[in-house]
Amino acid sequence: MAQRHGEFLGKGARVFAISADTPPMNAAVSQKLALPFPILSDPDRDRAITPLGFADEKDPRQISRPGTVIVAPTGEIVYSVTGRDYADRPDEDDLLGQVDQLGLPPTTQGPPTLGEVQPGDKAVAVEGLPSYLRGAKFAALAIRSRYRDVGDEFRDDLKGYVQMVERYLEALTEVEGRKA
Amino acid sequence: MSTDFTVLDMAGEPWTFSDHLDAAAVMTFHRGDF
Repeated sequence: MAQRHGEFLGKGARVFAISADTPPMNAAVSQKLALPFPILSDPDRDRAITPLGFADEKDPRQISRPGTVIVAPTGEIVYSVTGRDYADRPDEDDLLGQVDQLGLPPTTQGPPTLGEVQPGDKAVAVEGLPSYLRGAKFAALAIRSRYRDVGDEFRDDLKGYVQMVERYLEALTEVEGRKA
Repeated sequence: MSTDFTVLDMAGEPWTFSDHLDAAAVMTFHRGDF
């Protein structure tokens, strides 16, 4: 989303991320990835995460499921999708197409303001993210190879996972540019 | 269906969704701690 933030603004949509992490943890992620939009905090999940249907009730960490919602200026939710994991995200071209249908004028979004910055205990430093993602990619490729006869749906799902991880890896190459 | 809520921004200050709806909003939900 950060890579194409300008395209969303050009079609009249601002971008906001939401998690159940504390503001200092979100500030650490924002700083690490030089995100041009804010990460908002719903630590008890009772303000946005649960009302909008993203509470992960199976996970003991009281976290959000991954998901994407588009809201028109009227307040109407015009698009909502829930992912199964961090790599199960809608295609950004599709999201831009959804926003484009609203026919809005371009908008602006100022840089987010950070307060205290405190990474979570499990946070991976930006330097470690490429290795982390490459490990996830090759694990998925290995599983696809082991279970190549399971069926097209399984194979296509793994292919989509790998493609999304590759997009994340590409996005990381632009982080330093945004920090400059 | 319309929606509104108040959460916390990265400075720990209240942030109300409807205050930012003079444009469309793309909201992405994350598992966090990464």
